[in-house]
Amino acid sequence: MSPEARKAFLSIAIVCVVAALAWASFFESLPPAEFSLQSGADVKTLDPARATGNIEGRILFELFEGLLRMMPEGEPDPETGLQPMAPKPGMAESFEVSNENKRYTFRLRDGIKWTDGTPVTSYDFAWSWQRVLHPGTASEYSFHLHSIPFAKAYSDATVAVGDRVEVEMWDRPDETPTGKATYQNYPRGTILYGTLQEIRKPPEPSDEEKKKNKNAEADWTESWVYVIDIAELDAQGNVQWDGPTKRQSFSSALKSPVADPDTQRAHMVLVAFDKLGGLETPDEKTFIVNLNDPIPYFPNIVAFYTLFPVNRACVEEHGSPLWTKAENIVTNGPFKLQLRRLRDRLRLEKNQDYYDADNVALNTVDFLSLEGENTALNMYETDQLQWVTMPPETVLEVLKQREDFYAAPQLSVYFYRLNVARPPLDNVLVRRAIAMAIDRVEIVEEVTKLGQLPATTIVPPGLAGYTSAEGFVPDVAKARELLAEAGFPGGRGMPRLTILYNTSEGHRSIAEVIQQQLQNNLNIAIELQNMEWGSFLDKVQQTDYQIARAGWIADYPDPNTFLDMWMTGNPQNNTNWSNKDYDELIRSAARETDPAKRMDLLRQAEQIWVDEMPVIPIYFYTSINVVKPNVKGFFPSAQDLHPLQLLRFDDSVTTND
Amino acid sequence: MRNLVGYLINRFGWMLLTLWIVYSVSFVLMRSVPGNPFSSERTVPPAIERQLRARYNLDAPPLQQYFDYAVGIVTRGDLGWSIRLEDYSVNQVLAEGFPVSASLAIFGLVFAITLGIPAGVVSAVYRGSAADLSMMAIAVFGIAVPNFVLASLAILLFVFSVQIFPAAGWGTLSQVMLPALCLGAPVAAYIARLTRAGMLEVLNREHVRTAMAKGLSHRAVILKHVLPGAMLPVVSYLGPATAGVLTGSLVLEKIFAIPGMGSHFINAALQRDYTLAMGMVLTYTLLLFVMNSIVDISYAVIDPRVKLQ
Repeated sequence: MSPEARKAFLSIAIVCVVAALAWASFFESLPPAEFSLQSGADVKTLDPARATGNIEGRILFELFEGLLRMMPEGEPDPETGLQPMAPKPGMAESFEVSNENKRYTFRLRDGIKWTDGTPVTSYDFAWSWQRVLHPGTASEYSFHLHSIPFAKAYSDATVAVGDRVEVEMWDRPDETPTGKATYQNYPRGTILYGTLQEIRKPPEPSDEEKKKNKNAEADWTESWVYVIDIAELDAQGNVQWDGPTKRQSFSSALKSPVADPDTQRAHMVLVAFDKLGGLETPDEKTFIVNLNDPIPYFPNIVAFYTLFPVNRACVEEHGSPLWTKAENIVTNGPFKLQLRRLRDRLRLEKNQDYYDADNVALNTVDFLSLEGENTALNMYETDQLQWVTMPPETVLEVLKQREDFYAAPQLSVYFYRLNVARPPLDNVLVRRAIAMAIDRVEIVEEVTKLGQLPATTIVPPGLAGYTSAEGFVPDVAKARELLAEAGFPGGRGMPRLTILYNTSEGHRSIAEVIQQQLQNNLNIAIELQNMEWGSFLDKVQQTDYQIARAGWIADYPDPNTFLDMWMTGNPQNNTNWSNKDYDELIRSAARETDPAKRMDLLRQAEQIWVDEMPVIPIYFYTSINVVKPNVKGFFPSAQDLHPLQLLRFDDSVTTND
Repeated sequence: MRNLVGYLINRFGWMLLTLWIVYSVSFVLMRSVPGNPFSSERTVPPAIERQLRARYNLDAPPLQQYFDYAVGIVTRGDLGWSIRLEDYSVNQVLAEGFPVSASLAIFGLVFAITLGIPAGVVSAVYRGSAADLSMMAIAVFGIAVPNFVLASLAILLFVFSVQIFPAAGWGTLSQVMLPALCLGAPVAAYIARLTRAGMLEVLNREHVRTAMAKGLSHRAVILKHVLPGAMLPVVSYLGPATAGVLTGSLVLEKIFAIPGMGSHFINAALQRDYTLAMGMVLTYTLLLFVMNSIVDISYAVIDPRVKLQ
């Protein structure tokens, strides 16, 4: 190459570098938000039906609003400083309960609007709740609605001959009669209603075939042919179940061996949830919910984000998940989404159309995706951030002394699952001996150090109307006796046990202390095994462990959320523990109308749990937050809920750095 | 010129082959680790898990998935929907993260070059002086100290002691400075050492002695006759350096809360986000290949002895 070319190359290189630098120095300017908080990891989704975590919850509570909303009620508890929260009117201005606490009639407020200007109606709620239940939405939290008649059958997609069913024809937009199904459930295809007369099934594939082809069973289910007597609709859209019918057959498979020549292609056949009276919408301001059981915590569930309404037009126009994009999303909460940038922030601005907008003080709020705990604290200390939700553990000792530090007991428990199918843990004496030999005070005072409460039961304190069952008393001497009784005097003959935990400093230190305590107190050798989260969950869900760490946060403030998970066959059980009396007590508690009696039944169930000890409770969590002293309206609450619309700056307080 | 075209075609072929191998290996590896993208503490009912799998084509036989996904990438440039960040497609994640990572890398590299080369030149010219010793000591320090330690020191110094830079965040020029400095520091140290070594070698060459004997000014000799020759090792180091700066930013991204691509890389792997992990692996492969090719070409331009093959 000639020297000239080389010279030219040098100039080109310099131009490139300068251009790159100029490009890199260009930033879209974004004015700073009035209030910034540490949101944590990126939210998984902004779709209330699909969201699951606390981080998602914190944002959804601001963007959307349900019929009811969790708001403070009464004075803070003088001992713990906890502000009691209760479901208060949200989109609904009031509700009545009738039919032995099984029928809720909600009256919607006047003048409530979506951010696109259209009114929020009872039909929005009926549609949104059904969307949560629809199997295609795959909502992990759809069980919150299972107390409504036919809801569980609808979301599990189970039908039986004789059921009144809906059939969705294979004509969703973008679908061809012979093509694949679209993943967009909404807008739905044409819906027909009728009574299921027969399910025709081809021969079931053998177990070998199922092993060979993982989809064999799903393919087989798909090829079923449903014979349905299709009913007619009247002018109001009501189904004439007892009127004239026309027999037709449907199948989702293109070619089923048991199909008739006139079998039509359709999506899943589901129970006709919306036509069977679970939800009623007599007019656009009235929303009626009928329940199977008089569950007293239903208002709390109504105030939970899974049951928040979404805008039908928005979802149907853009489809999932594109409707959640900042430029598309339509919401109804006190704040609306202005900007969403991954790993950066969600910028919320005050929703001027919100019915209570006059009392919302903050105009712009940034939810910063800050995973680094030290980073968040640095930003807080330099006034870039007003609320830290996860302060670093290493400086808690110092933070605890400060007035901007809020710690309070939380409805949440840390525990060790035991695999009761594995000897020696199948012996209740061994389980109780281990539980009793653990010194929880040492754990909360020397390791976790956040004022956590030692736990000897599963239900945390602080639930109105509930007194926990009598826990055991940690007692090393008694534990040794129990162990001897179980056939392992002085720990002789006791096989080595393994504690499984997901990789984390905190879990490791706790496991190490317990390892030491069990070694010293009972002479039981414990091995520690840590696994990264995904593998850990796999092991637990396959019940392939001896002892595994876990935690549980209340879904709603009621003991049931901590107790029904241990019923036989519950997906969260994962311990192989099963007790008929326990299951029966939980079931009768669900049917009980008298609140006091119900709590008593739950307590009896918890007592069985304590006596059987399928799980070793360790401690009840505390929530910790650091908030600038000039922010008013922040208070600790048992579910760690802090409505942003209550926050305001108090200029009379100066921050001293 | 013909050399160049031939070289580019050749490289392109190798790149496709590499991408294909990386794709295949990642595909198999991701699916052979325990856990799946839908694991969560709450067990998902089987009916719902099937729906979820169908949405990401994970219910198809593995071989079918392998081809479907590859066809999507080749024909539509579509890397699919992210499984964990479910409101985003992988393309959108990359489109948001890449410019940020790239700006940070550009600043880091510019810092590294503007600090490293002058330091190396001064060290070589005044060999053995206090300036040389102190600068080389700093360089050794810069190479040895990991960037998260450097970042913590920098924050202590420039955020809390002397309050000139914000603690973290992204969106203004002042927020880029500190992370770019920390990112560029080890590279600058390397460049300084390479420049110094290169200078010392060239300074003893005969053409330099001739130039000196001709009576050229010291300054002209250094700039015209010594520096270009001494730059060769630096240029060849820039390829791996760019790679290092692009991939090495993930720790700094966390410390300085920068919305780049690095953190997605780790999270995608940990959370079994098959599609996002694949997108990241392929993007990095492509980037490294392109960067190395550019360095190779510029090497040939600077040094007449190098032929592109």
